[in-house]
Amino acid sequence: MPPIDIELEKLKIKLTEMWDLVGLQLQTGYEAMVAADPELAGEIKKLGKKVNHYDLKIDRMCENFFALFTPVAVDLRTVLAILKINANLERIGDTAEGIAFFLKKQDGPLDPALLEKTQAIFMYEEALKMFNDCQRAFADNDTALARELIRRDKVLNRIFRKSDNIVLSFLEDAPEKTKQGFILLSIIRKLERVGDQVSNISEEIIFYREAKVLKHKGKKKEKE
Amino acid sequence: MSKNYKLEAKDVNAFYGGFHALKNINLALEEKAVTAFIGPSGCGKSTFLRLFNRMNDYIEGFRLEGKVLLDNKDIYQKSVQVDELRKAVGMVFQKPNPFPKSIFENVVYGLRIQGISKKGILEEAAESSLKQAALWNEVKDNLHKSALALSGGQQQRLCIARALAIEPSVLLMDEPASALDPISTSKIEELIYTLKDRYSIVIVTHNMQQAGRVSDYTAFFLSGELVEHAKTKALFTSPQDTRTQNYITGRFG
Amino acid sequence: MTNAQLNRFKDKAFQAFGLFCTFFGLIVLAIFLLDILKEGLARLDWDFLTSLPSRRAARAGILTAWAGTLWILVMTALIAIPLGVAAGIYLEEYGKKTRMASFLEINIANLAGVPSIIYGLLGLELFVRQLQLGGSLLAGALTLSLLVLPIIIVTTREAIKAVPKSLREASFALGASKWQTIRMQVLPAATGGIMTGIILSLSRAVGEAAPLIVIGALAYVPFVPEGPMDEFTVLPIQIFNWVSRPQEAFLINAAAAIIVLLCITFMLNGIAVYLRYRQQKKVKW
Repeated sequence: MPPIDIELEKLKIKLTEMWDLVGLQLQTGYEAMVAADPELAGEIKKLGKKVNHYDLKIDRMCENFFALFTPVAVDLRTVLAILKINANLERIGDTAEGIAFFLKKQDGPLDPALLEKTQAIFMYEEALKMFNDCQRAFADNDTALARELIRRDKVLNRIFRKSDNIVLSFLEDAPEKTKQGFILLSIIRKLERVGDQVSNISEEIIFYREAKVLKHKGKKKEKE
Repeated sequence: MSKNYKLEAKDVNAFYGGFHALKNINLALEEKAVTAFIGPSGCGKSTFLRLFNRMNDYIEGFRLEGKVLLDNKDIYQKSVQVDELRKAVGMVFQKPNPFPKSIFENVVYGLRIQGISKKGILEEAAESSLKQAALWNEVKDNLHKSALALSGGQQQRLCIARALAIEPSVLLMDEPASALDPISTSKIEELIYTLKDRYSIVIVTHNMQQAGRVSDYTAFFLSGELVEHAKTKALFTSPQDTRTQNYITGRFG
Repeated sequence: MTNAQLNRFKDKAFQAFGLFCTFFGLIVLAIFLLDILKEGLARLDWDFLTSLPSRRAARAGILTAWAGTLWILVMTALIAIPLGVAAGIYLEEYGKKTRMASFLEINIANLAGVPSIIYGLLGLELFVRQLQLGGSLLAGALTLSLLVLPIIIVTTREAIKAVPKSLREASFALGASKWQTIRMQVLPAATGGIMTGIILSLSRAVGEAAPLIVIGALAYVPFVPEGPMDEFTVLPIQIFNWVSRPQEAFLINAAAAIIVLLCITFMLNGIAVYLRYRQQKKVKW
């Protein structure tokens, strides 16, 4: 194996580890939300430190790779993709911490009816699934799966767009739960961000595999 | 014809005796742009480059099919005088090859053989082409010293100056920096960058980064075939052919 | 003895053997030179160089012989150099590499190895008899030209071949024609090599006796030649003639003449060595 491939492999492994860490943060957030366990939320914060460490490490590795191997073509696109995916993952990690922050403010479990109505649990599950699928798409170079993820992000967006009206009408009936409504809305907004980040990562995967830039392109072009 | 290209090859096939060196090449090169030819050794890129100033004519058993056009004129027609062609198409070689004469005589050699011997004209030409080749300041006080006393990088710039002195419109460069150290190389590259405003430049190089740094277009050759020709930016970020990709990322074979 | 020791021993052994071989030739040559010098040096004086030949050893000189040698040298050079160099240039630069060309090439190389007496016979038939030049300087010079021509052609070709292709290409690429390239680049760069070949071949011609005897050069010429059609003799013939006499005094004369002949050839070789040295120093590609 040429040295450039060995180094690339190292980079990919580091990124996968980072991915696992951020996945754990998200997963913990989900469990914290469902089980209403503020201690778990504290866990996320701790993981966050590790994630930041990884983020810096991967940045530095990419920098070295550019300097030493002056990559072109698919190598160049791979490192660029890794660099951007790394940034996206770091942001997802931050988002998970954000969710933890709101969960800690909550005393006691969230209102089940409200969760049901806003589809928040489903949304979180879907986001988690997307996140894990995205990792698989990267590992297997599965651009078809990556494309599917971009479409699946729309589901999250739809839930997000409906959520404020649902919460508002719920609060009209139960104004004493304003805080809960606010927290839930915040979490939903965070989850929507996770969907966006996953969608961005998917675009990076497609870019590096196929050299096609999907970013900022209309839906029509993407379909061809 | 929709567009006028500076150099054009149409259905070009070339043979060395029984060896098929270039296979069905169609390629059009833009005016006042730098085009890089890349590919592994023996892929035919140098042979192809040498078609444009008919340098292959001297090789025993060389045969050409197809057309090679300069400014839309076939340069392999009987009516074309080779020495006239070479006034329009200059060439710089892989190893610096100054004549064992003075710097001045090297630069004006092309003019002298045209029969120009007026001192004023020669001096003017020498100064302007040495300036173009970014060598003037280094040699202006030593014009009559032997060219062989110059460093390798200076010699190569002298060879460029010598080619420029006959005012060609095309400059062919066959791995011009492959025998030079990094500093001289970067000077040559800088030079190519400035020269493209006035000349159409074709450069053969084994150094992929060099192709990326200096060229506007890149053509990739493999075993006598033209595999891919595209803007350099496109070719180096997203080559369309896997063979190109394997070559430029160093995973060949 | 281990393998490595054996190898080291072999190395040393070959070194010693090589040293012996080198000195063998040198020592024989030195003995020969010393012998000649011992015998001839005393006889060598101004009179010896400026006297005409004579039946009496004490009065005999080599004026006609070295004058004849000089004549032959100059005339051979005038005939052989232009012919040989031009032929070499043609064969190397213009001649197409056909089968005919390689046939010619092999034969020229063969000619360089033909015994000189055979050239003498050719000269006798062609120049002396057919062209009726008689035993003149011209016939002699033409015959020796034939003898050295192949050497000059071969060395010219070698010298031209040694001029790097890059120099030619540089000239062609600037629009020079073939002749311009040859005249302005190839020949100047090859001059040293060509000159070396010419001088070595001339020094060979100077030493030749056999072909000249065959065409009828005389041993006893009581006058210095004044034109190309005059009869002549040369140093080697004079030496041969003296050596074959029974009297001791003539043998001493021969030794003195040999010293003069050796001086001429050493001088020519010296010039050749100097030219080669200068060329190597001048041009570094």
